[in-house]
Amino acid sequence: MYAPLLSNRYLRSRVIPLIAVAAVALCVALVIIVVSVMSGFLEMVRQAGRQLNGDVIISYPINGIPGYERLAERLEAMPEVSAVAPLVDGWGLLRMPYPDGDEKAMETVQFWAVEPESFDRVTGFLGTLHWTPVTDGLRRTLGSRDFRRDLEESIGNDELATLVDEAAVLRTMEPDRAGALVPRPGTVLGLHVSKANRRQEDGSVRPVTGHRSGSWWMPRFEVILSTLPPRTNLASPQAENVRLRVVNEFRTGLYMIDETRIIIPLEEGQRIMHLDAQALVDPVTGQPTGLTEPKRATQLLIRAAPGIHADALKPLVEATYDAYREAFIAERNNAAFAPPTRGVGLVVQTWREQQARFIEPVEKERELMRTLFSLIYLVTAGLVLAIFWAIVHEKTRDIGVLRSVGASRAGICWIFLRYGFQIGVLGAIAGLGLGALIVRNINAIHGAMGHPPIWLGVFLGIAAIGSAVIAAWRSRGGALLPLVLGGTVALALGGLAAGVFWVRFVVGGIQIWDPAVYYFSTIPNQLDPVACISTMIGAVIFSVLGAFFPAASAADIDPVRALRYE
Amino acid sequence: MNEPLLEARDLHKTYRLGRVDVPVLHGASLRVVAGEWVAVLGASGSGKSTLLHLLGNLDQPDRGGGTIHFRGRPLDALVRWEGDRYRNRSVGFVFQFYHLLPELTVLENAMLPALVGVTRLRWWRERAAIMRRAQDTLESFGLGHRLRHRPSELSGGERQRVAIARALANSPPVLLADEPTGNLDARTGAGILDLLADRHRAGLTIVMVTHDLTIAARADRVVHLVDGRVDEASASAVS
Ligand SMILES: Nc1ncnc2c1ncn2[C@@H]1O[C@H](COP(=O)(O)OP(=O)(O)OP(=O)(O)O)[C@@H](O)[C@H]1O
Ligand SMILES: [Mg+2]
Repeated sequence: MYAPLLSNRYLRSRVIPLIAVAAVALCVALVIIVVSVMSGFLEMVRQAGRQLNGDVIISYPINGIPGYERLAERLEAMPEVSAVAPLVDGWGLLRMPYPDGDEKAMETVQFWAVEPESFDRVTGFLGTLHWTPVTDGLRRTLGSRDFRRDLEESIGNDELATLVDEAAVLRTMEPDRAGALVPRPGTVLGLHVSKANRRQEDGSVRPVTGHRSGSWWMPRFEVILSTLPPRTNLASPQAENVRLRVVNEFRTGLYMIDETRIIIPLEEGQRIMHLDAQALVDPVTGQPTGLTEPKRATQLLIRAAPGIHADALKPLVEATYDAYREAFIAERNNAAFAPPTRGVGLVVQTWREQQARFIEPVEKERELMRTLFSLIYLVTAGLVLAIFWAIVHEKTRDIGVLRSVGASRAGICWIFLRYGFQIGVLGAIAGLGLGALIVRNINAIHGAMGHPPIWLGVFLGIAAIGSAVIAAWRSRGGALLPLVLGGTVALALGGLAAGVFWVRFVVGGIQIWDPAVYYFSTIPNQLDPVACISTMIGAVIFSVLGAFFPAASAADIDPVRALRYE
Repeated sequence: MNEPLLEARDLHKTYRLGRVDVPVLHGASLRVVAGEWVAVLGASGSGKSTLLHLLGNLDQPDRGGGTIHFRGRPLDALVRWEGDRYRNRSVGFVFQFYHLLPELTVLENAMLPALVGVTRLRWWRERAAIMRRAQDTLESFGLGHRLRHRPSELSGGERQRVAIARALANSPPVLLADEPTGNLDARTGAGILDLLADRHRAGLTIVMVTHDLTIAARADRVVHLVDGRVDEASASAVS
């Protein structure tokens, strides 16, 4: 019964165990932060991969799947499938409206030609549109310098709603020369395709201002997409162009995609890639053969019905494809334009297989981090061991007294194990709190680190001078400890203050989390519960382990020798 | 004569300092009858503390170096937990330098053997009684107003009284006192001895070691520890 009393008392009546608690807390917080950010990052990569590509993808690059519409019908008829979206993808150069003058910038882009309605059903595309009417709900989430606030003022929510409507059909109506309204193909650009869209400090995007045209805000500008269709007469390859009106921009959060992808109407993609229905010409005679080659799509994105796992859906999709292919050949009695067999160029993949290139390295990296940071546990154990060794040594006489009044060896051992356990638990809880605080606010902290507020520098500077003055005052009698202590604090604060001013005025802000490197424009800020629990348990276990050796040596103290002390 | 409560027969104790054997006790014997107050008088370094440690089972005699019997039972036959229990219930130690635990209050120090001796369950059931008893003892020692103080806030005499209260917490039949007044001035020391005398009159058996003749004179019987032996022949009834 004395063990709780003593371990609690030892914990409260001295500073060293608090240092141990703080050290354990720092270790725990460190691991929680690193693993949480990594896990969040991995989760974002996975989510994005699944969201943007559907659960299962049939792809046949360049040549495309002939007669995909009927395949899509068969797939949509499956109860395990909730939506199917055909698309044609390819690479091209996009002639941008900027800068002023005749020499316009060109951006390399990946175009996805889609039917907006089916594409939205599979990927939730319309939810990623950036320029939307500013509702009360949205306004609350917007930073004070978000460009959408300006738009609400300047063009109004009605015009923004029009932009959303036009994105939903990838079409806009414009007067032709005679003044009659005719449809024109529209495009939705990834938010970072336009290099005129600059990232703000608060993470929002604001277009820069051109000197003649006002702001280079993309909607309503015309862009020209040029590509070299691979399916062409190789003797004279000819570029295909399409003029597109920008109707909106989208932001998936996956920087790699927002920087390169544009969405255009499916017909336009089929046309410039030569995947539209074409009357076939006999290659020898040059005469029409009377046959028509069906329209093609290079990918079918398939969204599983709720509760259906991608891995379970994949073999069903494969079977459907095989059945479709057989029916196609049987009907036409001709294998000439038949869809290819699976495996040769045409593949059925789950989103995970398709994204493996991105996901696997991140998974490996996380495991590596986890392993490396497990070394922290040894640090924890070592710290507790060293601190406890000192405490046990200091408490030798008390241990002798306890033995003299009948405490057993196991009882003495238990005091210190309990003590280590308490330090581990307190440290783990404090570490969780600290880690949660930092992870939750990591974007704000990152922003502040890259662009620290000047008041912080001033504050730190004043605090540094203050602690120097206090240190000098306290050690005026010649005492050394306050001088050393205060001096150290003053130096540290002063260094931080200098760092703030250096970053602000010399470097002009730094960005550690570069979205171009980490795919995402914000740092994941969700705690990883598994990491939290395992780290906390690990810290407690290793604190107890660290306490074990000092505890055992305390139990072995010879009471007679211990009592001879004085 | 009565059956001895505590009896040491032909004790040998040798310390090893590096390669050199330092014989401290060779052939020390002592019989203590229940209710007796025995003073062991000896020069510094004669082995008085060593003898007391052996009697209290804090240390063991050399292999084959004699036995100690408590109520007729040899201590070396006790298994480990019985040894712990013997120290907890059957004897109480008082040291020259008090040896109070600095983190605990006066009351907690005085309860320490009771705390050590009970399980958690019994503690919850009996804690009121245990605290009451320690408090009563402290109050009877004139420390009623000091219960929540830390030992560092007390004078030497007060500390030694707390140490005696601690030794008596489990009402052991025997008190082993190692120069209990060695660190105190004459008047304070006399106060402590009065306190022991009170307890002695109430039936407590006391073995007290000292090198001071006048202090030894307070006991019923004085024996001398010379050359590692207890010279029972020199024993003289002083009172
Ligand atoms: N652990 C030990 N190792 C070596 N020698 C020891 C040890 N403990 C005691 N001794 C020696 O044994 C002898 C007896 O010591 P003890 O403390 O019993 O004497 P004492 O009579 O109590 O003396 P004092 O009156 O100074 O307290 C001393 O010479 C001491 O140096
Ligand atoms: Mg001594």
